[in-house]
Amino acid sequence: MTAAHRPFWYLGRRPADLGSEIDEELRLHLDMRTEELVARGMAVEDGRREALRQFGDLPGTREYCRRQDEDKEHRMQRALWIEDLLQDLRIGLRGLLRAPVTTLTIVVTVGLGIGATTVIFAAIDAALLRSLPYADPGRLVRIHTDAPPNRFPFSIADYLALRSQQTQFEQIAAYAVRVMAYTDGTVAERVQGRGVSWTYFSVLGVKPAIGRDFTEEDGKPGGPLAVILSRTFWQQHLGGRADRIGKPIQLDGAGYTVVGVLPEAVGPLERGQDLFVPVQFVTPPRKGPFFLTVVARLKRDGSRATAVEELHAINRRIFPLWRASYQDDKATWGMVDLQSYVIGDVRAIATLALFAVALVWLIACTNASNLLVARVTGRRRELAVRAALGAPRGRVVRYLLAESLLLAVGAAAIGVALARLGAGLLREFGASYFPRTGEIVIDGPVLWLLVGLTAGSALLFGLVPAIHGSGGPVEDSLRASGRSSTGAVSVRRLRRILVGSQFAIATPLLVVAGLLLASLNQLGRVDLGFNPRNVLTGGILLPARQYSDSRAGAFWDELQRRVEAIPGVSVAAFSDARPPNDVNNFNNFDLEDAPTPSGQSQPVVPWVSVTPGYFQLLGLNLVRGRLLDKRDAVLPATAEQPVVVDRAWVRRFFPDRDAVGRRMRQGGCTTCPWTVVVGVVSEVKYVGLDQPNLGTIYAPLAPQTHARYIDVRTSVDPSRMLPAVRTAVRGLDAGLPFSNVATIDELVDRSLARPRSLSVLVATLASVALLLSVIGVYGVMAYYVQQHAKDIGIRLALGGSRGDLFRLIVGQGMTVVTGGVALGLLAALAATRAMSSLLFGVGAADVRTFAAVAVLMTVVAFAACALPARRAVGVHPATVLRDE
Amino acid sequence: MTKPDPLPLVQGTLDLLVLQALASGPTHGYGIATLVHQRTDGHIAIEDAALYQALHRLDRQGLVDAEWRPSENNRRARYYTLTPDGRKRLREETANWRRYARAVDALLAGA
Repeated sequence: MTAAHRPFWYLGRRPADLGSEIDEELRLHLDMRTEELVARGMAVEDGRREALRQFGDLPGTREYCRRQDEDKEHRMQRALWIEDLLQDLRIGLRGLLRAPVTTLTIVVTVGLGIGATTVIFAAIDAALLRSLPYADPGRLVRIHTDAPPNRFPFSIADYLALRSQQTQFEQIAAYAVRVMAYTDGTVAERVQGRGVSWTYFSVLGVKPAIGRDFTEEDGKPGGPLAVILSRTFWQQHLGGRADRIGKPIQLDGAGYTVVGVLPEAVGPLERGQDLFVPVQFVTPPRKGPFFLTVVARLKRDGSRATAVEELHAINRRIFPLWRASYQDDKATWGMVDLQSYVIGDVRAIATLALFAVALVWLIACTNASNLLVARVTGRRRELAVRAALGAPRGRVVRYLLAESLLLAVGAAAIGVALARLGAGLLREFGASYFPRTGEIVIDGPVLWLLVGLTAGSALLFGLVPAIHGSGGPVEDSLRASGRSSTGAVSVRRLRRILVGSQFAIATPLLVVAGLLLASLNQLGRVDLGFNPRNVLTGGILLPARQYSDSRAGAFWDELQRRVEAIPGVSVAAFSDARPPNDVNNFNNFDLEDAPTPSGQSQPVVPWVSVTPGYFQLLGLNLVRGRLLDKRDAVLPATAEQPVVVDRAWVRRFFPDRDAVGRRMRQGGCTTCPWTVVVGVVSEVKYVGLDQPNLGTIYAPLAPQTHARYIDVRTSVDPSRMLPAVRTAVRGLDAGLPFSNVATIDELVDRSLARPRSLSVLVATLASVALLLSVIGVYGVMAYYVQQHAKDIGIRLALGGSRGDLFRLIVGQGMTVVTGGVALGLLAALAATRAMSSLLFGVGAADVRTFAAVAVLMTVVAFAACALPARRAVGVHPATVLRDE
Repeated sequence: MTKPDPLPLVQGTLDLLVLQALASGPTHGYGIATLVHQRTDGHIAIEDAALYQALHRLDRQGLVDAEWRPSENNRRARYYTLTPDGRKRLREETANWRRYARAVDALLAGA
């Protein structure tokens, strides 16, 4: 029996039938055998006994045959079920291809929703859900100095004390940024490296792919210099040659022996780093500076509480030893999971992005549901005929669901393509927006989400129309669909609910997008404190081995002279920081007039070292006192050190007194000479556009400082001046790396990349949501008008006013829209509070944004309602009535 | 003259015998038993239990089709027919059997 000629009610045979058939077959056999024996002259009773004897194991055979038959039956049923499904899918596909616009709309919009949701989830999965790609990452922690509200790194003194006294960690390691100049003999290049303790890789459980890890010898002062390279650096600079391992390369003018090469896949701490050199720690003369990030591995059975207690204890123990250079007795040591340190504070952004894409997916499904309800309604008659011919309701639902499944699979295909594209883009360019984007992969949980979204889509936009399409008494449907004016009430109600939900979902999205765009606008209008136009900057690093302090000083003077001689350059100066968010050094200080009481942390502000021309270059106003001059940088070590502060600093520390002449101890050094304020200038943003001005101190840049930025004010387009500046640098030393070149405008632009990309993402999603909602309301109105063409015609024929009718029809749609928008505004009010950390200069309940969104949605929806309404009342009544 | 006792079935030949019996046309289980008995002149006897087990197994494997039909004496009987797959299997098994028998013959002739 095959599917083709089997009645639809066929359910297969039950096991009991199988048993009785076997009995009948075997009984016939025994009867025939008995007859044969009787014919040969045996008595009937003897014949029956003999037949049974000859047969052998009767119960066993019956059981065996039953099992075989059951097995066969099961397989047949499975085959039939699949055949049915395939048939449903075939018919469904044919039906969908007959309505290409609906099909395409659904597949593309839902596909977009699925794809976007998958990408965002993949990013969240990589950053937040996956543990770090290190050995047993749950036991890795970052140890820091804890001086609320600040957390800052360790100093060498801290690290050495922790190393010798700790008992709760298997091993600890430290690392710091180490920018080096790499020379291959001709050209120098600035490379991004890390200075690490020799234990660094073993704490993380990372093994070099080639060569060896650092050993204790590498970390001993005075030992030979070693380096471990990233795979990329090894391939790009050493041609990936194994024979370069064990040989030296030139870094900062010294020979470092290449001992190992890292594997291709590295963890987030190693990503983007060219090379690693072991730091050979020597006991420092003072407690600071604080620049070492400490990573530690907890003992397998260790308790975190005990470890934290020990950190506190060691910190208390060493505090008296460094009293001369460090007085902050409120600061202690603490630790956090390495994972939370790596990913930082991205939960708000991640949650917002995920909600936004998920809402778009939901709205796309709702829209699809709406379109499909319309389609099913148009086919009610066909479905009713099917039901009348005996197809059970479940079978019709299944047929309609098969259609939805096809749509969902199509959407999933687009979703997968989009997700792969998006994941690729994020892997490539996402690093500045989100942590661990390099680790994004579409597998495991992400694939499950994709499957879930696809199935969810099919159910969401399939079940409503399916139940709707198969419901209701058959006769009603047959009768009703013949005429157009009645019978559609429930459809209309359903579609109105769907459209209302669309607006309710789209509204909060638009509000969020509006708030983000308003924030971005506010950020773009933040006053930098100077004219950022026509300022070019770039970093130069002098290798310490080739440049003695005096040689370095001479180099900088000559470079400034040559650059200022370039036509089009007005001023050149040097600094170790760049607006709007690049500060090299934060420093603490203790005011003579307002000493920090014991038990409290000293204030910390950006400490920007500059050459005298810097103030003129940025065009900062001198408010009081004097600017720094050339002599300030070369004062004897015992003299008072002059600094210039900004107005924000004065507001914070001397709001009603003159700040000039005030003295302070800097960096916790009580035996160093005083630092004295000699002047006050206007404010500049150094720690980000979205941060308040909390005061900046400008100190003279020591002439020998080997790493600094050159800042150039030009009178023409600064990018056109770049080659000349570069030539000037090369002319002095062809082997010098000149890097991080950017105009201030570009730096400002870059600092806005993250908020801008978030705004663009959410705004795009919100536009899609709005578009889908408008399609929804337009569809409902067009359907309403079509269903009521006769009524409208009669009213017009009876002399009804077109204006009244128009209002009546539009009112039908607008009640739904305003209801949805109102609901959405309430939801937005509740939701936006959670995103206040992402906003700048605009409140989470900003009335203007909420009002603007409400107006926008209403106006657009009105247009979508008015279009079909105008068409309906514009028709000559006779035409409609004749058609009926 | 008394006939010698029927030979026990050589392992694996049961399916071959059943398929071969069906090659001449559809029949029921009893018919197959009779056919085998007559054609081998009583030298080979299939145990009835084994025969029916083989029939249902072959049915599951799709080598035979089963269908209820009226029998010679007008009772409902389960008739078995060779399917195309069954026919193919019969050809293969026959060839295998011939090769096997020749090999055994050759071995015995050498002894």
